[in-house]
Amino acid sequence: MFRFVLSRLVLLVIGLVVASALIFFTLRLLTGDVAQVIAGTQGTAAQVAAIRTQLGLDRPLPVQYLDWLAGMLHGDLGTSLVTGSSVSSQLLQKLTVTLPLAGMSLVIGLLVGIPLGVVAAVRNRRPEGTALSVVAQALAAVPAVWGGMILIAVFAVALKLLPTQGYPSDGWAEPGRALRSLLLPALTIGIIEGAVILRFTRSATLGALDEDYVRTAAAKGMTRTRAVLTHGLPNVLLSVVSVLGVQMAALLVGAVLVEQLFALPGVGRMLVADVGVRDLTKVQGELLALTGLVLILGFIVDLVHRAVDPRLREPGE
Amino acid sequence: MSSARFPLPKRLLAAASLAVATALVVAGCSSGGTTGETGKPDAAAVVNVGLVLEPTDLDIRTTAGIALDQVLIDNVYQGLVGRTSTNDIVDVLATKHTVSSDGLTYTFTLHQGVRFHDGADLTAADVVWSLQQVKDTATFQNTADLAAVKSISSPDADTVVLKLSEPDSNLLWALSGRAGLVLEEAATNDLKTTANGTGPYTLASWKQGDNIQLKRFSDYWGTKAKVAGVTFRYYTQASAAINAVISGDVDVQTAVDATLKSQLTGVDGISLKSGKTTDKYTLAFNNAEAPFTDIRVRKAIREAIDSKAIITAVGGSGVEQGGPIPELDPGYDDLTSVDSYDPDDARKLLKAAGATNLKLSLTYANFYPASLGDVLTSQLKKVGITLTVKQTDFTTWINNVLVKHDYQLSIVNHAESHDFGNWANPKYYFGYDNTKVQELYAESLAATDQTVVDEKLAEAAKIVSDDAAADWLYTATTLTAIHDGVTGFPTSSTSARLDLANLAKS
Repeated sequence: MFRFVLSRLVLLVIGLVVASALIFFTLRLLTGDVAQVIAGTQGTAAQVAAIRTQLGLDRPLPVQYLDWLAGMLHGDLGTSLVTGSSVSSQLLQKLTVTLPLAGMSLVIGLLVGIPLGVVAAVRNRRPEGTALSVVAQALAAVPAVWGGMILIAVFAVALKLLPTQGYPSDGWAEPGRALRSLLLPALTIGIIEGAVILRFTRSATLGALDEDYVRTAAAKGMTRTRAVLTHGLPNVLLSVVSVLGVQMAALLVGAVLVEQLFALPGVGRMLVADVGVRDLTKVQGELLALTGLVLILGFIVDLVHRAVDPRLREPGE
Repeated sequence: MSSARFPLPKRLLAAASLAVATALVVAGCSSGGTTGETGKPDAAAVVNVGLVLEPTDLDIRTTAGIALDQVLIDNVYQGLVGRTSTNDIVDVLATKHTVSSDGLTYTFTLHQGVRFHDGADLTAADVVWSLQQVKDTATFQNTADLAAVKSISSPDADTVVLKLSEPDSNLLWALSGRAGLVLEEAATNDLKTTANGTGPYTLASWKQGDNIQLKRFSDYWGTKAKVAGVTFRYYTQASAAINAVISGDVDVQTAVDATLKSQLTGVDGISLKSGKTTDKYTLAFNNAEAPFTDIRVRKAIREAIDSKAIITAVGGSGVEQGGPIPELDPGYDDLTSVDSYDPDDARKLLKAAGATNLKLSLTYANFYPASLGDVLTSQLKKVGITLTVKQTDFTTWINNVLVKHDYQLSIVNHAESHDFGNWANPKYYFGYDNTKVQELYAESLAATDQTVVDEKLAEAAKIVSDDAAADWLYTATTLTAIHDGVTGFPTSSTSARLDLANLAKS
């Protein structure tokens, strides 16, 4: 186990360093310049040049990159070129919206995907099973923006149950309002995510149905459904856990889009605004933090997977 | 134009517009009793105001964009002089000002008993320091506005004197804007996130990505604000803005999308006011590049465009504009008869110029409505011009069009008032170089008599329009939705400034 953890940790660090270089240098390919944005459309060339010097943007790129890396070794993600405030403080503030959103979406996805996935497998080739598969296939292909608009039309406009957009200005000081604001966005991501999980659960369950241990249990007198639930489900959940590691990234990407649609003051909306003004220091800090989050979650999923699946253990563990 | 306004985003949610939102409990109301009796101003009220574009940071001296001017000038920061919503100059921190007959000496008498928000007294030294900083610091916005100023001094504690190297008829206007704002020399606050001015409101908080809150300044030197505070909220989605005002999340919504205004008409308790602006929606030609070096092509494009159809496409929120100067600015003349809509003549001009089957590209920022590009495409098609429309993000537009002049046609809302100087600057992205216009503009700056200023500007504007240096699609009118009980909210030029000194809520 120790060797396994160590090798995963090394991979995690390499992943972060590669990501940092990719993020830093690809962002520099963007057209436009934050100094020009700050100076505005009436800014003179001299004014723009002075701002570039002030912000340190006139230094060679590798120097700027190494400077950024050095800062990060001290846990400093950098400071915004526009506001001068620290990237980590801004990020922490916005994560109070985005993390609950991603968390709620995940819970909804799991609540929808796993039970229905098992049903779809057990009822395979029957009308209800086929219907579930078709619906899941369709939902998994729905763009989040379109799905969100349909949900708004139904729940906010027609039924008037939930707000269309926005977030309470004092955030979690009013938990009820904050939760209501997050519910439709979380449903938007959660239902689509649930459809993906449903498909994985279904195929994993179908695989389990053919396994010897299910047939043996059935031979001992259990119903097939019961046999799948008691003996098959733990194995099914293992494969769902490994899929989740990958889906975390999808959840965060979903959050970026959905925050735009629902005007939620989260990380995604901040990211889009920062790219808009070319606040590259802030954008790279945010992207690296998100990448780190996904990589760390993946790392944890790997560890969990190994801990719960005895087949993966090394001899002597 | 740094203010190029960012209005009317795409109406993604038009379908979902009749929204319900939970009623907003206003903090100020809950502490100071409820909304108060009808007609009596509630001194404890907080007014929620919906705006479009949020500032990127709060440093009024270095950061461009009208989002800052709207919130901070007049309300938090003040200058020696200010301007009304119809662009007249008024004294603010000065009790009076005089201009010498040669136009070279400006003398301001200071108000006594003015305090900054941190409690310090305003001194003449603060004024001199503030103006000197703008003049001397290359990274400050509007530093060029004070180029004609030779010296800034205070002969005594009540007086500030500006001496000029040459007359500048635009100076008072400039001083009523950012260049003239008075800050405290001794203050050490971070201007990017806080503010310390002399205005009727203090900057209480800024939650980036969400709202900005102002609070009444209890030590204000003039008539104190009639409301306890103002909260600015930002709605980039036009339909979200409409929802917010219907649900009562905001008491006032500025820059209402005219194409959605039917949703507000007839709603109980909300009135819709139309106001004038200097927002000039300009179809810019790259005058320095072919085919725009041929005046016949430029005139043909102007004659091919039917401004009325364009105004209809934007919900009727505009008036025709025939030249570079809008109605609220000095030097305005009605030039709508110049190159008015005449597609037949346009075809003749193009034929004479040998420009049949012309293919042109139109580049503009993606926060302007796509309908503008659509209407222009179909109108130009009728005279044989094929238009390719490309919408980019604003930063890309700045880089490609404004800085590199890499474009043929572009649409921009040149929102700034008094910006005729762009037509006298051959290096500006218009690429328009006319010596006579430059001379007239210089003469208008040098004039000490306002009538002469107006005449020179009007003459220059006529030449620019006759030259078809661009097509002025329309001057925008602006719609403000106001809940009953809210008074004193300005309705003209709201995209440039929002003086809330008289705001009240009952």
